[in-house]
Amino acid sequence: MAYQSSVEVLDPIGLHARPAGQIVKLVKELGLEVKIGPVGGAMVSAGSPLRMMAMKAKTGEQLALEIEGVDDARGAEIAAEIQELLKG
Amino acid sequence: MADLKVLSGLGVGLNSVIGDVFRVLPHATLPPRAKSTNAGAETEALREAIASVAGELATLGHRADGASAEIFEALTYLLEDEELFELAESNISSGWNAASAYAMAVDEFGELLGGDPTFAERVADLQDLSKRVQSKIAGIELLLNLPTSGSLILVGEDFSPADTAQFTEAIKGVITSKGGPTSHTSIICRSRNIPAVVSCAQADELEDGDSVLVDPVGDRVVIGGTLSDATAAIEFVAMSAEPIIAVRSNIGTLADAELAAATKAEGVGLFRTELLYLSERKAPSVEQQTEHYSKVLAAAPTGPIVVRTIDAGSDKPVPFLSMGEEENPALGVRGYRLIVEHRSFIESQLVSLEGARQATGREVWVMAPMISTVQEAADFCELAKSIGKFKVGIMVETPSISAMIGDLKGIVDFVSVGTNDLSQYLFAADRMNPALGALLTPWQPALIRTLARIAADGKAAGISVGVCGESASDPTFAIVLAGLGVTSVSASPSQVNVVAKALSSLNLVEAKAIADLALSATSAEESKASVLAALAG
Repeated sequence: MAYQSSVEVLDPIGLHARPAGQIVKLVKELGLEVKIGPVGGAMVSAGSPLRMMAMKAKTGEQLALEIEGVDDARGAEIAAEIQELLKG
Repeated sequence: MADLKVLSGLGVGLNSVIGDVFRVLPHATLPPRAKSTNAGAETEALREAIASVAGELATLGHRADGASAEIFEALTYLLEDEELFELAESNISSGWNAASAYAMAVDEFGELLGGDPTFAERVADLQDLSKRVQSKIAGIELLLNLPTSGSLILVGEDFSPADTAQFTEAIKGVITSKGGPTSHTSIICRSRNIPAVVSCAQADELEDGDSVLVDPVGDRVVIGGTLSDATAAIEFVAMSAEPIIAVRSNIGTLADAELAAATKAEGVGLFRTELLYLSERKAPSVEQQTEHYSKVLAAAPTGPIVVRTIDAGSDKPVPFLSMGEEENPALGVRGYRLIVEHRSFIESQLVSLEGARQATGREVWVMAPMISTVQEAADFCELAKSIGKFKVGIMVETPSISAMIGDLKGIVDFVSVGTNDLSQYLFAADRMNPALGALLTPWQPALIRTLARIAADGKAAGISVGVCGESASDPTFAIVLAGLGVTSVSASPSQVNVVAKALSSLNLVEAKAIADLALSATSAEESKASVLAALAG
């Protein structure tokens, strides 16, 4: 069962290249499968900066998050780190 | 030398050099798209090419400093994007060869990202990576593969930070067909003492192996020329012990401060602080900043130290200060304009500088970059004075503030003119656009007349006027600046002594006569030629 949560894009110019790159870096370092996408929409791999950028997520948008293979406590930690990267 | 062919351009540096032309072609032609029947081999070829380009990016990242290193890392993530690879793999399954499959996958992502100005530059990066991967597969070297021995004169359109990071010992001179005196190539060549001629439109005529003389003082390249054909830099003979105006040094790091201290520099005219922050992910604490500043201040040459508060923008981003991507970063939220969003950071810089001032007992002047109104100048000076015992001032880089110098009376103690940016904004000519180099030479009369007005208005208002742009590193131009009424210049550490010597070779009255020649010219060529002729005669 994957850990599920949501994050909000707070960066003033949306989910652009820099936060996307930082998220990829984090996900690769963790070695986990992480998916992200618009709430209720198609999820994409958080290991692909291009897919994340192609969502064109704007400031204030909520994004759903799914992290495979972690318990709730660890999942919440990772979600918080990703949220931090989306603050811009 | 009647039969020697001469190509003219804009010289960078004072020394001449001869060497063999080594051409770098801007765009090798890539093979057209094609099919293949061996999907396994194509996938393997693509995997290898991507790994090889990633390896090159990693090497470049190691050689680069903090900020550029991060750029290379970000490029690597795009290059190695797993979904991009999967899409390319599926194109290979449909019968395309590796290079075509990757190019098509990149085009597809380019379309997904298209139509949004936020991603325009990333799409360009992606296309550049695609070209590198395709070249790798085709066996075409796009990255510079420079010999490490010999005496080579590198010839190309213009060189990017990725290119200059690869310069080897064998590169003795540089010629570019585009780029101006403040281009990246020029700045790197000046700081490494590599003679260069930029904006040399006929450079395309040079062929590999041609022996050429790079003659920066003569603003020219001589095919087949020898050192005896070189235009001698004007030999300045010091007539007095002290230069007619103060010569300070530009620094950015502790190493620069130490270099500058070994010169005749009378203090520091420009301490660029952003280098401390470009590679930091989080804002350094006041303690960390104070410690860093204390080391630099303690090492700096005797005299006042003019510190510029952070000069960053979306094209020169600092990781912990959020800066939106902008359509025109040079005209965007940069320099002092960051205070709207990041006041507490700029305050922490000033607090740290005050701590370092107290710890070292040095005389610290602070100034803000990218000031465009009297109100901004007043706000900054009030802030700085409320935090520390500084002399306070501003950079003059925008034409708008250059028209208001007299009104800064009683507000600022000094101004410092950044001629690189002032030229860019005055001529509406992007410093980064290699085609516009000729507009950006400091010998342009419109710049010289603007400087004259700034100096005169500053004098009338009791404000000292310094110049810290690249132009102040040219000893001949430094004489013009002194003659215009500028009260100090600040040059790169490598140029301080030659500039000081030039400014010791004549008196202020003579310098004024030289400046008048430049002021009366109507073209850059005329102003430079008349000044050089007068100084040589």
